[in-house]
Amino acid sequence: MLRGPDVRLRLITVLLIATLLLIVGQLVRLQVLGHAQHHTETEALVHRQYALPEPPWGIILDRNGNLLVGNLPVYNVGAEVNLVTDTVMSAMTLAPLLNRPAKDLQEVLTPPITDAGTSVWRPLANEVSEETAAKIRELGWFWITLTPTWQRFYAEGALASHTLGFVNKEGLGYGLQAFQLRFLRGNNLSQTGPVSVQSSPLADEVVAKDILPYPGTDLRLTLDRTIQAYIEGELDIALQEYGASGGTILVLNPRTGEILAIASRPNYEPYRYPDHAAAGEEALFLDPAASVPYEPGSVFKVLTLAAALDSGRATTDWSYYDNGKLEYGGIKVYNASRGAYGQQNLFGIISESLNVGASVLSTQVMGAEVFYQYLRAFGFGQTTGIEVVGESSGLVHLPSDWNWSDSYLATNAFGQGIAVTPLQLAAAVSAIANDGVMMQPHIIAERRHSDGRSVAVLPKPISQPISAETAHAVAEIMAQSVDKKSDSLEIPGYRLAGKSGTAQIPTTGGYEPDSVIASFIGFAPWPDPQVLILVKIDRPDGIPLAQRWGEYTAVPVFRRVMERVVVLMGVPPNETLTRQ
Amino acid sequence: MSVIWQQRTHGIQRRKQQSAMLLARLFVVAIIIATTMAAAYLALVAANVHAASRVWTMEQTLSEMYRQNHALWIEIARASSIPVLQERSVQLGYQPAHSVDFLQIGEP
Repeated sequence: MLRGPDVRLRLITVLLIATLLLIVGQLVRLQVLGHAQHHTETEALVHRQYALPEPPWGIILDRNGNLLVGNLPVYNVGAEVNLVTDTVMSAMTLAPLLNRPAKDLQEVLTPPITDAGTSVWRPLANEVSEETAAKIRELGWFWITLTPTWQRFYAEGALASHTLGFVNKEGLGYGLQAFQLRFLRGNNLSQTGPVSVQSSPLADEVVAKDILPYPGTDLRLTLDRTIQAYIEGELDIALQEYGASGGTILVLNPRTGEILAIASRPNYEPYRYPDHAAAGEEALFLDPAASVPYEPGSVFKVLTLAAALDSGRATTDWSYYDNGKLEYGGIKVYNASRGAYGQQNLFGIISESLNVGASVLSTQVMGAEVFYQYLRAFGFGQTTGIEVVGESSGLVHLPSDWNWSDSYLATNAFGQGIAVTPLQLAAAVSAIANDGVMMQPHIIAERRHSDGRSVAVLPKPISQPISAETAHAVAEIMAQSVDKKSDSLEIPGYRLAGKSGTAQIPTTGGYEPDSVIASFIGFAPWPDPQVLILVKIDRPDGIPLAQRWGEYTAVPVFRRVMERVVVLMGVPPNETLTRQ
Repeated sequence: MSVIWQQRTHGIQRRKQQSAMLLARLFVVAIIIATTMAAAYLALVAANVHAASRVWTMEQTLSEMYRQNHALWIEIARASSIPVLQERSVQLGYQPAHSVDFLQIGEP
């Protein structure tokens, strides 16, 4: 029996201290000695990866703000299959919604025996629409997961498919979208940390870590969808009319280098790229305008002429005697008509499209060094820097190359034995239209960042291969040449300058006997050109051989397109109208 | 008879009693300060949690608004695509212009 208050007081004190020591001891055991173990257990329990829904990619607009490529909100559907109670009924219900056979779904929804009791998640369908997602939500099945995501949406279908391109799940692709992927793709941040039962991060996480995703950069292009749709329609009509296998129409502003429209056939539907790939049609993805070089033929003569004039080796009064044949480098060059034209000048070389005259300029007037120096200055053998993936630099043989032949100097002068892309050719000829200055061809007009900043892509001169005087002289010759063909190339009120070409198609050991590539390149209204158009028709084999020339195939298409484009662009006529 | 009463009645020094009282007051003040600080801390944490929750909700709302915005973009694009506009133009009686004349106005 305890006696006296002091003893009882001491006893209580001792008990309290003992209790306190016990608590402290437990705290030390749990928080110090067992820290690592408990920390791991807690992390496993509440630490999860979390993120906000994937941000949208940048959209692509035409020059007037019309949507070309957007983002369709869709969902990926998955299931925690270990929580499914009735797989048969669930599969039957989901089958029509997910457009999958019920048998397949039943198989997917059945959890593997080895994993019984553990959490197993499986994907059921990708990119289902908002409407389907709403129907799935109505089912109220807690084991179904709907993950918000996006699907690229091509507002005008296959319009400008080569230019716009696509990007697959691995981030690989073609066209503008693949080239601008780092801008277009937003940044989706995910973090790992403690989350609540609703899988929302705890307060400290939200405060300490930034996971706000930012959308991709929007791109406004220089393309005009109306002009684009028009030239695609004209190209389709032309291919059908001439039984051609393909073709390209390119419209650009030579003053700024802005590409207003660019269309090629055969093309593809960018939203169906997996189907094309599965069918082995990957070749369709390459943009013929920028990635597939061809021998340009006689349209190249205007550049030979420009080089000869600008180098000072020839003047506007220069002339030669055309006997219909030139032997050089072990080959014989003939005019296309196989005829001899007698005394000819620079205008004759363009208007009559004389191969011999062009070869005389390159071989006897300029020589290889001067000629190829100009070809280099015009950008041949180099990429233009257009914003698409896989641009080709073409093929230019130089005297220093191991496979050089002297004959190249003669044939290159009229566009044979040299391979260029339509874009390279258009960029080079645009120098003639733009006072000798070559502008950087481009298709992006503006980048609009998600933070509100906007960066305009300004016209950029890249070089001046020829002087303004030379450019004017060559353009005037081209215009006079077109004036001479007033029947087929008249657009009332607009003076045109241009040159047609009919190029043979190289094959192993020579050229295809009957197939050609017909083309025409020209600009208007001369002397203040606002539009440059290149028309190229590949293998117009559906018409008689004698009618496959550029003059009969590409020229009518060029005239129709130019006639409409000047109106669409609001370019007023520069000549007094004679039409009543 | 209590111990305190005994201490008082048996002449325990008054100075010792005063220091005990001071200690007790200090203890009470310390507890009040600690409680106030704890309350302030808890209020801060609560405000932090509330703000974080709002931030998270707003971030989710922003994501949802992105989705709605893009859905609207697509709706507008569908309604104003070239085939739709062509069809509507034809319905309204428009026809393709085959010849365009510019009215030339001389300088005043």
